Amino acid sequence: MNMTTALARLLIFPGLLFAIPGAWFILWVERKAVALMQGRIGPPFMQPFFDFIKLLGKDTPPREGIGGMLMKAWPLIAVSAAAGAVGLLPVLPSSGGFEGDLILLLALLEVPSMCIIAAGFSSRSIFGEIGSAREAVLSVSYNIVFLLAILSIAASQHTFSLATLAQLPASPLRWLGVLALLICLPAKLHLNPFSLPNAEQEIYSGPMTEYAGPELAMWELSHGLEWVAATGLVATLAAPHVTFGWLAILIFVAFSFGIVLMLSAVASATARLAIDTTVRFYWQVTLIFAVLAISSALFMRFRS
Amino acid sequence: MNLWNKLMCYSRRRSPWLFHMNGGSCNGCDIELIASLTPRYDAEQLGVRLEGSPRHADILCITGPITHNAVGAIKVVYDQVFGPKAVVAIGSCPATTNVFIESRTLDGPLNKHIPVDVFVPGCPPRPDAIIQGVAKAAEILAERASKKLPVAPVVMPLVGEGCGGACACGGSGGCATKEVQA
Amino acid sequence: MNILVMLWKNLWGGSRTMLFPARPEVTEHYRGLVRFDPELCSGCAVCKFRCTAKAIDFKGGKGVFTWSYDPGQCTFCGRCVDGCKDHALSQESACPPIYTTIGELKEAYTVARKPPAPRPAPAVAAPAGPTEQAAAPAAGGTE
Repeated sequence: MNMTTALARLLIFPGLLFAIPGAWFILWVERKAVALMQGRIGPPFMQPFFDFIKLLGKDTPPREGIGGMLMKAWPLIAVSAAAGAVGLLPVLPSSGGFEGDLILLLALLEVPSMCIIAAGFSSRSIFGEIGSAREAVLSVSYNIVFLLAILSIAASQHTFSLATLAQLPASPLRWLGVLALLICLPAKLHLNPFSLPNAEQEIYSGPMTEYAGPELAMWELSHGLEWVAATGLVATLAAPHVTFGWLAILIFVAFSFGIVLMLSAVASATARLAIDTTVRFYWQVTLIFAVLAISSALFMRFRS
Repeated sequence: MNLWNKLMCYSRRRSPWLFHMNGGSCNGCDIELIASLTPRYDAEQLGVRLEGSPRHADILCITGPITHNAVGAIKVVYDQVFGPKAVVAIGSCPATTNVFIESRTLDGPLNKHIPVDVFVPGCPPRPDAIIQGVAKAAEILAERASKKLPVAPVVMPLVGEGCGGACACGGSGGCATKEVQA
Repeated sequence: MNILVMLWKNLWGGSRTMLFPARPEVTEHYRGLVRFDPELCSGCAVCKFRCTAKAIDFKGGKGVFTWSYDPGQCTFCGRCVDGCKDHALSQESACPPIYTTIGELKEAYTVARKPPAPRPAPAVAAPAGPTEQAAAPAAGGTE
C-alpha cells in the first residue's frame, strides 16, 4: 500500500471522514438500545453530535508546564491512534493491506487505553490516579485473553494480514476466537459489567475527572472511534466474504450493528463488577479457554 | 461565523449535562432528581446526563438549605464548573431555607453565595417539575452564552481538594489555588 | 436468564416514558399550592401561627388586614388549611411553578374586615355594638 492509499484510508474511507459520523452513530445506537431495553426512550438521534459541539464551546482550563502540555496531548494521541486503527480495517474487499497489519491494528487499539492511564496520572488528582490504576489492572487482565484469541485465529489460518483473514473461509477455531474477543470487548470499551474506570459514585469520573471542554470532546471522540475499530475488527473476522463492493460495506455495517446491539444487551443486563471479581474472571475463567485455543492452533500448525 | 454561533447555541440547549450537589438536604429532593432519570420521566430524552465530575457539567443542581459546612464546598465546586454554566436550586430549601428559616446551623439561601438561575419550588418537587427546571436552565444557558456575557472562573482547585469551609480563609479558595483569572 | 427475557419484553413492549413536556396528573388530595379565599377569611391569623415555614404573613390594621403567602417558602404541609376554621384556605392539586427570581411567586391580599353578625338580643343598641367589636379585633390584630 503506497502513501496515497494509506492517507486515503486514514482520512477518507474508512478513515476520519466516515468514521467520525460512524462513531457518533454507534454511540447513539448504544445509548438508545440500553434505554429501550430499560423501558425508556433514549436520547434523540443527533445527541452525540450535539454533545460534541457543546463540548467544543466550553472554556478551556489553563494547563501549565510539562504536565499541562501532556494533559493536552493525551486525548489527541488517543484520537489519532483510534483513527489509525479504523483506517486499517479492510471494509472493501480489494482495499489491500500488508502482512502484519493485524499486529498494527492491535497495537493501535491499545494506545487509547494507555492514554487514559497516562492522563489519569498526569492530572495529579487522586480520583484520576485511582481510576488509572483500575484501568491498568483491567488492561492487564483482558489483554491476555484478547491477544491470545487473536493469535490463535491468526496462527490457525497461517496469516497476519487482515484482508487475507477476511477472505479465508472460517475454521471452527476462528469462532472460538471470536467468542473470546466478544467476551473481552465490554472490558475494552468500558461497558458493564467491566466498566470499572467509570465508576461514578466511587471515584467521580476516574481518569477523566480534570478534563473539560474540547479535551473532553476529543476523549469522547476517541471512545467512539475505539467502538468503531473494535466492532469492525470482530466484524471483519466474523462476516462472510463477498466480492461485490457495496454488499461488502453493507454486511460490514450490519455485523457491526449486531455486535453493538449484543454488547448493549450485556451492558443493560449486568451491573458493575468489583476489581477482584473482574480480575478473577479474566485470569481464572477465560484464560483457560484462551490457552486451549492457542495451544490447539499451534498444534494444528505443527501437524499440517 | 454566525452559523457556527447558532449551531453552538442550539447544541448548548440540547445537551445539558448535570452535576448534582447536596448542600445539607434531607435527601428528598436528591431522590426526586434521581427519579427524573427513571423510565417514567426519562430526562435523557432531553439529552440530560448526570456526570461524575463538576468539570464535565454545564448545570449545577443544588439541593438543601446551605449549612455552614457546605458553603465552602459549594463555592469551590461552583468555581470548578467551567463556563458557560447555570445553577438550578432544587426544592424550597436552597431558595428560602424553607422550614429551617431560623436555624443557627445554616448560612442563608443559596443566592447569597452563588448566582442562581432557576428555582424549582416544592418539598420535594415532582420529577417532572425538576425536568422543566433543567430545560429552562439549559435555555437560559444557551441564550446567555450566545450573548457572550462574561462568566469568568476565579479559582480552579483540583476536584476533591476543596477545603469545605474548615480553613481560616472561610472556604472561598482551594488549597491548591492556581492564579486568579481576571 | 430472567433478565434477558425482561430486556426482550422491554425492547418490544414500548416505553413507559412521558414525552416532555407532558406531565402526569396530580391526584385529588395532592398537597399543592395554598389557595386563599378573601370572602371567607375572618382575620384570625391562626394560619400564620400554625405555618411551619413562615410562608404566611399576616399584618392587621384598622379595618383591613393583609394576608400574604410565598409559595417559594412554603413546605406544603397543610397545617394552615387544617387550622382554618372558616375554610378560607384550600390546597389545590397543582404543583408550584418554576421561577427565576426570588420572591416572584409571592402573593398578597388586602382584605377589609367584615363587620360581625348582628346580635339577636333587642336590648343592646345597634350602632354601639359594631364599633366596640370593631375596635377590639383591631387592637388585638396589630402585632
